[in-house]
Amino acid sequence: MKKHLQVLLGLLVVSSLLLVACGGTPAANTAAPGEATTAPEEPSGPVEVRWFVGLGAGAQPEQLAGQEEVVAAFNEAHDDIELVLEIVQNDVASDTLSTQIAAGNAPDIVGPVGVEGSNLFTGLFADLQPLIDSSGYDLSVYDPATVEFYREPSGALTGLPFAVYPSFIYYNTTLFDEAGLEYPPHSVGDPYVMPDGTEVDWDYDTLREIGMLLTVDASGNDATNEDFDPANIVQFGYHTQFTDARGEATQFGAASFVDGSGNAVIPDNWRAYFNFTNEAVWTDYWQPNNTYLNSDLLLAGNAFGSGNAAMAAIHLWCHGCYSGADFDIAVMPAYNGEVTAKLHADTFKIMDSSANKEAAFTVLSYLLDEGAPTLLIAYGGMPARQSLQADYFSTLDDAHEQQIDWDVAIEMLGYPDNPNHQSNMPNFARATERINEFQSLWRGTAGVDIDAELDALQTDLQAIFDEAN
Amino acid sequence: MAISERVFGSFRRKPKEPRGRLTNLERHETRWGLLFLSPWIIGFLVFILLPTLATLVFSFTDFNILHVEDTRFIWFDNYTRMLNDPIVTQSLVRTLKFFVMAFPLAIIIPIAISALLNSENLRFRRLFATLFYMPYMVPLVSAVLIWGGFLNPATGWMNKFLGSIGIQGPDWLQSTTWVYWALLIVGLWSNGNAIITTLAGMESVPRELFEAAKIEGAGAIATFMNVTLPMVSPIIFYNLTLASIGLFQYFLEPYVLFAQAGDPGGSTLFYPMYLFQNFFQFQEMAYGASLAWVLFLIILAFTAVWFGLRRFWVYEAERE
Amino acid sequence: MAKAQSMPNRDYNASVLNKRMRGWVLAGSVTLFAIVLLVLWLAPFAYMVSTSLKTQQQISDPTSPLWPSAADQFEYEGQSLDILVVPVNSENPAWHDVNGDEFQDAGEASVEPGVYTLALVTPGREDGVFVNPADPEAGAIHWIGRWRALEADWQFAPQWANYAEAWELPSRPFTFATLLLNTFAIAFFGIIGTIISCTLVAYGFSRFRIPGKGFLFLLLVSTIFLPRIVVTVPTYALFVRFGWVGTWLPLILPHFFANAYNVFWLRQYLMTIPREMDEAAMIDGAGPLQILWYVIVPQLMPAIITVALFHMVFAFRDYFEPLIYLSTRPELQPISVGIQQFNAIFGQRPALIQTVALMGLVLPVLIFFLAQRAFTRGIVFTGVEK
Repeated sequence: MKKHLQVLLGLLVVSSLLLVACGGTPAANTAAPGEATTAPEEPSGPVEVRWFVGLGAGAQPEQLAGQEEVVAAFNEAHDDIELVLEIVQNDVASDTLSTQIAAGNAPDIVGPVGVEGSNLFTGLFADLQPLIDSSGYDLSVYDPATVEFYREPSGALTGLPFAVYPSFIYYNTTLFDEAGLEYPPHSVGDPYVMPDGTEVDWDYDTLREIGMLLTVDASGNDATNEDFDPANIVQFGYHTQFTDARGEATQFGAASFVDGSGNAVIPDNWRAYFNFTNEAVWTDYWQPNNTYLNSDLLLAGNAFGSGNAAMAAIHLWCHGCYSGADFDIAVMPAYNGEVTAKLHADTFKIMDSSANKEAAFTVLSYLLDEGAPTLLIAYGGMPARQSLQADYFSTLDDAHEQQIDWDVAIEMLGYPDNPNHQSNMPNFARATERINEFQSLWRGTAGVDIDAELDALQTDLQAIFDEAN
Repeated sequence: MAISERVFGSFRRKPKEPRGRLTNLERHETRWGLLFLSPWIIGFLVFILLPTLATLVFSFTDFNILHVEDTRFIWFDNYTRMLNDPIVTQSLVRTLKFFVMAFPLAIIIPIAISALLNSENLRFRRLFATLFYMPYMVPLVSAVLIWGGFLNPATGWMNKFLGSIGIQGPDWLQSTTWVYWALLIVGLWSNGNAIITTLAGMESVPRELFEAAKIEGAGAIATFMNVTLPMVSPIIFYNLTLASIGLFQYFLEPYVLFAQAGDPGGSTLFYPMYLFQNFFQFQEMAYGASLAWVLFLIILAFTAVWFGLRRFWVYEAERE
Repeated sequence: MAKAQSMPNRDYNASVLNKRMRGWVLAGSVTLFAIVLLVLWLAPFAYMVSTSLKTQQQISDPTSPLWPSAADQFEYEGQSLDILVVPVNSENPAWHDVNGDEFQDAGEASVEPGVYTLALVTPGREDGVFVNPADPEAGAIHWIGRWRALEADWQFAPQWANYAEAWELPSRPFTFATLLLNTFAIAFFGIIGTIISCTLVAYGFSRFRIPGKGFLFLLLVSTIFLPRIVVTVPTYALFVRFGWVGTWLPLILPHFFANAYNVFWLRQYLMTIPREMDEAAMIDGAGPLQILWYVIVPQLMPAIITVALFHMVFAFRDYFEPLIYLSTRPELQPISVGIQQFNAIFGQRPALIQTVALMGLVLPVLIFFLAQRAFTRGIVFTGVEK
């Protein structure tokens, strides 16, 4: 029996270790400052509202400070609600949120989230209308059109306008000077002056011409030169940065891969775009291919930020992407006479599964009102509310040595892509994945037959759309 | 075989216990055995069985977080859907292709490196062992970024080195043919565990066996084949099993590597990656679960074969 | 060897010397071979180290050398100008800028042919404006030629400041040290749990006859078959019910109940340990626990240490589960999550990414190296005491 006692002793040791682990782990005991323990449902403690950041912007260091400031200010002002901030990086935010939702541990508020981010979770957001009505929130400060932007087909209003990010051309003045070229125009309709003095329209053909002049190899030959060596390019003329296939194609005019009846279509202007850009990447070399994009030369995707791209079409949130002071912004070129400057719009949304929707709405309205100035600066987003726009840009100037022509941004706001390039599609996630495959194929491999691949894309998308019933 | 027979002689032959005579002892042994197994059994029931059964149940439903309330049992519809899903076959073929390429190397190279590290003629063995193992300690996300930069055809060191010795470096990361080799290189590089486990096994081979072999007149290679390898065979079996499982579940490296840029023409869409996509990106956790269970069956079949074959080549100090 | 003994004495000494030399040559060549292999093996690390010490400009500059360097710079009118080696000859003439005239008109004040070290003020496609750092008052020098083809004077200049910057973890209110501590804490508790439980279970599997043991073992191994992702969600749901989300418990506690990898490994290692000593001890009247403690564990020590080391490395590498359990508590996150966040935030600063990856390596590598002593020291049991 002695042996059995020994065994029991052994098991006791093990279980005591367990108890130590359970009770004594610093994690379980210490409540870190500023964190709320899981709040009980009784009215005695403050209601905990979890704010999940990461589906859109908000996880960058500069943005963290702004958000934490707002959270602290809110918690001070509200005794009955405890706002808890949860930051997850963008590339894992979607997976993490899915896991939480599936396990029944969803957060209360999600944001800032753009159109694409919310499409991944269609139908899971709460209708704000009843909360607006019950709290008496004043909708008149918003342009009604911008409010309708957030109305779902079901009639639910899932968000309120918060931040908009128009897009435009960022251009590097040093590189333009070096090439002896005039800067691109700052207003729609202005012509572009070529080196020989002729005035031409600011369209994609012009973009191509100067793009080639601005693409240089290691020996200093530009892409128009017959000695140009495409294997040793050290500077590119242009890149549409940080977006996907639809985001790029929409520059040739807003459209969609799905038509009104749910069928897959390849819009003509988008077909033209992919052919144009494929040629730009593989024949004329003034836009980078995937190899160059992933290399250190272009800082793994941040082409403009590397200083080795003369122009890039990006949104307002990238105004800090390039740390140099030698850049300014210009309007987007026109295609067939039309200018399209794709738009991103962020807002905050409440999860329908939230147990504390009223409290969450209090937080939401705070973020949209008192918190907005701090947050908008942190995210680099223009206020959707026109009344706040003028002040906004003057504060943005503080971040830059040089004077950037923000009127371009305001003007570009008037040329949004409608339908939005991130608009919903049937079986959205699967369709997006298939479209991304197409994108990485033609940008990664030379000699792709764009038209054939587009037709294949259409067939596959049709199958994907049909699946969603 | 003659050498090993003589060397191992006494170890191999075990007297067969007559049946019936030791029943009490057997029961005693069983009780003790189960007692020792109990931590695992408890943990299995609490932490593993429940979640695993949950995923099995999931696979029979149409669970989707976008409409949880509508979850219904659809029984085998997910599985029949798999049969008609072309991506399933394509991705499975890719996984098998990569498996065939990687598996032999994943076994042989750690053995070769361990043999080198175990060699009497090597100085600074501890240092070498640590350095060969070091790549495994680099977190996956960092390793992928490093290799992404190292293998970049335009600016990466790999092609620069190859260029300096006159070889035109291939397009490692964007060519559908070469990307598998790139992934293979990364995988073998970070296969530190196999090296260390094999080395530990080699180091524990009793010295007197080597002396016996020397007395028999065996050279280095014969000793290696007839003494070292058989003695290390249980550990090789371990690595082999883990390598098979790992290769069938392989997707994280290409997933992280190509997350931004996208892979060349979908050629790294392995079966587990498609599983992951369905599970998270497409929010179709039920379909993902069914894909997972089919993978389970495939791996089970494969491993069962290895387990069955082991009596033919794995030397174990006892037989069950 | 028999041969040597039959030789006369003089030649015996010579042959011993030969043998020793042969030993050295063999040792040298094997070690050399290992070094060559190692250099190839660790080439990516060279890339890591080099990149971690570079400046941002150098990384995106394709003409820069492979090692961390900085081109000389010259401060002129508030700007930092690159200094280049400029050849002036008939193909690439240059003029001094006199009185601000168009440089071709100042034909006589041209620069003597030669090679100069000048600072580039204004680059042009086919020409450039330079200034002499040694004599900036002399005015601008206009040079015809392609500045891209010029070489800069690269000096070896490792940017140790990158490490200081990464250590501070600019994105967080805590430093890298916190991440390390967290990881070690998680690893430590996990190691205790896994060593104890896995040794017990492996012992059970290898030294006892249990009906259905084969099935149980296959069941154990089969728990690895299912991709972790799939099991993670229900497991997460389970831990939500327990209320353990936001703590380290989900990352530590399950290891107290053994895990398949380590049990499999220990069992296989146990297979290489002959039973003779067990049986001898049994005959002496030892019970299973005593056999375990006095006979098995000493022989199993290298494998147990391996388990400890592997678990430590696992704690450094495991990523998704710490992420979802600790997403609300950044100050508790282990290094893998911290590094990934860092990479995501500083994706535009390749140098910092490499820096942080290297910093995360130092301690585990050191521990691993030191622990190797226990491997070799523990292996003394060469067989049965007869």
